[in-house]
Amino acid sequence: MIKQWLGSPLARRVGTTTALAVLLMVMTGPSGSTSQPTAGFVQSFSERSSFFGLFVTQRWLVWAALALIVSALIRVAKWLKSDYAEMVAIPGRLARSAQAPFQTKKPVRFGTYGVLMIVAILLPVFVTDGFWQQSLVEQVAIFVLLALGLNVVVGFAGLLDLGFVAFYAIGAYATAWVTGALPAAAPFGVHLDPFWAIPIAIAIAMASGVLLGIPTLRLRGDYLAIVTLGFGEIVTIFLNNEYGITGGSTGSHQVPHFTFHVGPIKYAWGLGPVPYYYLTLGFVVLFLIIFSRLEHSRVGRSWTAIREDEVAAESIGINPLKYKVMAFAIGAASAGFAGVMTAAQTNFLSPQTFLLSFSINILVLVIFGGMGSIIGVVCGALLVQVVSTWMDHYTPFGFQSQDLYMYLGAILVAMMIFRPAGLIPARRRKREIAMSEAGEGHMDEMLTGDTP
Amino acid sequence: MSDDYIFDVKNVTLRFGGVVSLNDVSLHQNRGEILAVIGPNGAGKTSLFNSLTGVYRPQVGTITFSGEPGHSVSVIGRKPHLLNGAGIARTFQASRMFSALTTYENVKIGAESHKGLGAVGAMLGGPATRRGEKLSDSRTWELLDFVGLRAEANTLSASLSYGARRRLEIARGLATNPKVLLLDEPAAGTNPAEKLELTSLIRKVRDRMGVSILLIEHDMKMVMSLAERLYVLNFGGVIAEGTPEEIRANDAVVVAYLGSSDTGEAAQPSPSETEDTDAQG
Amino acid sequence: MASIFGFFVTHFGILRKEFWPLLVGGLSNGFIYAMVAIGYTMVYGVLRLINFAHSEIFMSGGFASFFLMRALIGSSAPGGVASVLLVIGGVLGGGLAGAFMAMVLERVAYRPLRRRHAPALAYLISAIGASYFMFNLAGKEFGRYNTSMAQPFVNHTIFTLFGAPVQMLSMIIALVGTVMLITLDRVVGSTKLGRSVRAVAQDAETASLMGVNIDRTIVIVFVLGGFMGGAAGFLYGLGFGINYTMGFTPALKAFTAAVLGGIGNLRGAAIGGLLLGVVESFSIAFVNGAYLDVVVFGLLIAVLLFRPTGILGERLGRSA
Ligand SMILES: Nc1ncnc2c1ncn2[C@@H]1O[C@H](COP(=O)(O)OP(=O)(O)OP(=O)(O)O)[C@@H](O)[C@H]1O
Ligand SMILES: [Mg+2]
Repeated sequence: MIKQWLGSPLARRVGTTTALAVLLMVMTGPSGSTSQPTAGFVQSFSERSSFFGLFVTQRWLVWAALALIVSALIRVAKWLKSDYAEMVAIPGRLARSAQAPFQTKKPVRFGTYGVLMIVAILLPVFVTDGFWQQSLVEQVAIFVLLALGLNVVVGFAGLLDLGFVAFYAIGAYATAWVTGALPAAAPFGVHLDPFWAIPIAIAIAMASGVLLGIPTLRLRGDYLAIVTLGFGEIVTIFLNNEYGITGGSTGSHQVPHFTFHVGPIKYAWGLGPVPYYYLTLGFVVLFLIIFSRLEHSRVGRSWTAIREDEVAAESIGINPLKYKVMAFAIGAASAGFAGVMTAAQTNFLSPQTFLLSFSINILVLVIFGGMGSIIGVVCGALLVQVVSTWMDHYTPFGFQSQDLYMYLGAILVAMMIFRPAGLIPARRRKREIAMSEAGEGHMDEMLTGDTP
Repeated sequence: MSDDYIFDVKNVTLRFGGVVSLNDVSLHQNRGEILAVIGPNGAGKTSLFNSLTGVYRPQVGTITFSGEPGHSVSVIGRKPHLLNGAGIARTFQASRMFSALTTYENVKIGAESHKGLGAVGAMLGGPATRRGEKLSDSRTWELLDFVGLRAEANTLSASLSYGARRRLEIARGLATNPKVLLLDEPAAGTNPAEKLELTSLIRKVRDRMGVSILLIEHDMKMVMSLAERLYVLNFGGVIAEGTPEEIRANDAVVVAYLGSSDTGEAAQPSPSETEDTDAQG
Repeated sequence: MASIFGFFVTHFGILRKEFWPLLVGGLSNGFIYAMVAIGYTMVYGVLRLINFAHSEIFMSGGFASFFLMRALIGSSAPGGVASVLLVIGGVLGGGLAGAFMAMVLERVAYRPLRRRHAPALAYLISAIGASYFMFNLAGKEFGRYNTSMAQPFVNHTIFTLFGAPVQMLSMIIALVGTVMLITLDRVVGSTKLGRSVRAVAQDAETASLMGVNIDRTIVIVFVLGGFMGGAAGFLYGLGFGINYTMGFTPALKAFTAAVLGGIGNLRGAAIGGLLLGVVESFSIAFVNGAYLDVVVFGLLIAVLLFRPTGILGERLGRSA
């Protein structure tokens, strides 16, 4: 009897619903400790908290209700004979209507871009709050830039680079170096303005991308991921320990701001975020234009070809290594540039910024928005970064900034399960995934189970 | 070796662990020739193609490719993309299109693959890049017309029919301006009408474009009507060579390959044998 | 030139003087790497997938056994038979937790993808996400600090090997490690269960045609690897304490060990683990301690570039 019930679909549904509710309770509960490991769970039943100011109640009620609703909706959808797949596709359909303005005819598309551009330009006028102005640069614009760069590597070339943060660090430290803010003497003893650090840092980051790429990009995808991760770790260890060169774990506090001295115009940027916002925005637009050109050029097509079928690509004369190194170098260059912006704006560098988690954060932006979809990546980055900054600032349910990575991890898994091509999928990527799943094409594919 | 050979294969042996895929194979192809390689399943035909295109690296022997008289390159140890640059193009046994790209893009990618790196040009969209684009565009249309796929230019390659995919693969290979085109079972999975079309297309490629053809095919009717000369492979070794008439009359071939005593009609293996063969290219 | 020469003279001098203590320490860590490496290698063998989240299985084993030890030991100082039983309990507790988490992981993060025949990149990303989710959740629930584990025995020096003290903990790690590795080798090598694992590793399609249940086999692989990894988490926690990020570095080293031994190869993973432990330990004589990890990463990159099939070659089927 009991055994039968345990095997029934109902039991399974009850099980998953309960598991989901418990997980949500634990995730949003207060932080525990080894002496009170169940605090998050237990206090969900006792403690009352506010839900976005709407109502105040015990947490468990809300999550249990939410889990029930989700599972009931699935049930109703099944019952209505519109199958489960349809149900799962609802967020997809919402997303599709969101992406419509970007995928229709040219006038509409350009109109959308124009409106977005105007909004972006006017943003600092409306967002006057100091915290949000600052965040707009540090947490949003820079991250969009980084996501665009990583998208070239992961989205276009299909290379999982987990050491992306290393190039960001290299850009930032290169800036500190040429401006004389590191223990290591600046080259030729000349302390440059951070403006001049832009080309130098980009060049150094790019060169390290090429140097890392040439030997490692021959490796299979999963090995490449680990090797790049190792590279990122090595860079962090180096930054942390070479006190004489990088300032070690204390880093540097003396990176100068940008100054602008051309003829009679003398302008020194302060800590105020607005000029940095516009500069970064300018670069975001520039990257948008050149990357989308790249995507639709021979180079972009070659990346697609290599991603799909390396052997076939080689047979028509495409040198995979060359194009992979190129993607790596472009990604590294954008990260390097983002590094300059960060260093010059905050004046401050510490190895603690440049951890693996940072690479993962950027990866989430790319995956969430849609690998290979430029507009998707921008939207994804905006959404994720604004929400995470908001959570960090207003700390709902006792949110701690380290908790962020728990959510980011969950996003990665959920995206891979429900929407692997991302919020606004790239056309080619979406087709590819569909082909691969239909057993067509030669994209590296994992073992297929004996689906009952 | 003769100056007329486009391919000169000498004593090539290819092993995978204990499996010997090619065993002391020597053969040659004359420039401008339509040459066929036949043999039962697992004879080593695809392995030969892979060795000729740099995908596999035989342990023993030499392979010389000479696209033009007096201009020869050693194949073994050279990367596939470089060999393609030298003038070797191919198709695969199970067609390997870039399924996320359209028919047009598939061909275009071949037409432009040897035009330098051009990343900076591509990003800035300079006049040189635009001129290059124009050239490869017209070349692409030309080839789509040549293989009769103009109407399907904007179709996703994965939704093409078998026959059309084969023609697309031929167009993609031709787009790289090869001296020789290697076709691995181009008729597999196609219907009789498509087979006829393919046969005339292949002949047209040689006659109009002057591209030599090296052909693997199980369909004997097609092979015998196209090939000027044949090699027969069995268990990784060459067991016979000659004109279609000579091969038909060769007892060793009849026994080893056709597996029955009567020639002629039995020369056509059952369709089930030709379909769904290994995709390894 | 002279200075390079001098460098090696000095450092080999250190190595010679400290050879035995370094060897003992290295082997002791090596057993832990070996046990974790087994998990990578087994999953790779059947799925051709690097289980990025294996580090969190290790961590789960560490935490589970930590709570178990605290509940059982409290502040007492057990000895004799009680110690033996506690160690066995810890291994079982850590192992079972690891096995359970591995099962959940397979179910949630991999199986839906397998059903869809997702491309390889998707698995990697899902695994990374799962790993980040798991250790940060652990950090949130159990605090983000290092805690030492209640000790089931008194860790004194039990004998000296050429002057190198060998401690109780090292002996226990070596003992548990040896027993578990040999048992696993037997299980995979000569039981019916192991046969299905090897069959799937060699050729999943054929195995499935021959009636091997692939889904079940994959779960078994995760469970076996998870058990080894979780138990290793316990042993590691005894010596180094537990922490929500405790999995990252040891697991990366274990992965290196698996590659070193030839990924997919069981015995290779064991040998690779021991070898890596020793190499890492010996490199203390040459580099600043902060750079130990750099040595390991460097080794990983070098192996991948120059001998990607490892020492013993790939292939799970051939290992037994
Ligand atoms: N990459 C490889 N690894 C191991 N063995 C291989 C590999 N490629 C080919 N072989 C072996 O070499 C032999 C010849 O295979 P090949 O594909 O060249 O045959 P074929 O003549 O093309 O057959 P078919 O008519 O079925 O296409 C086979 O026994 C095959 O198993
Ligand atoms: Mg073949």
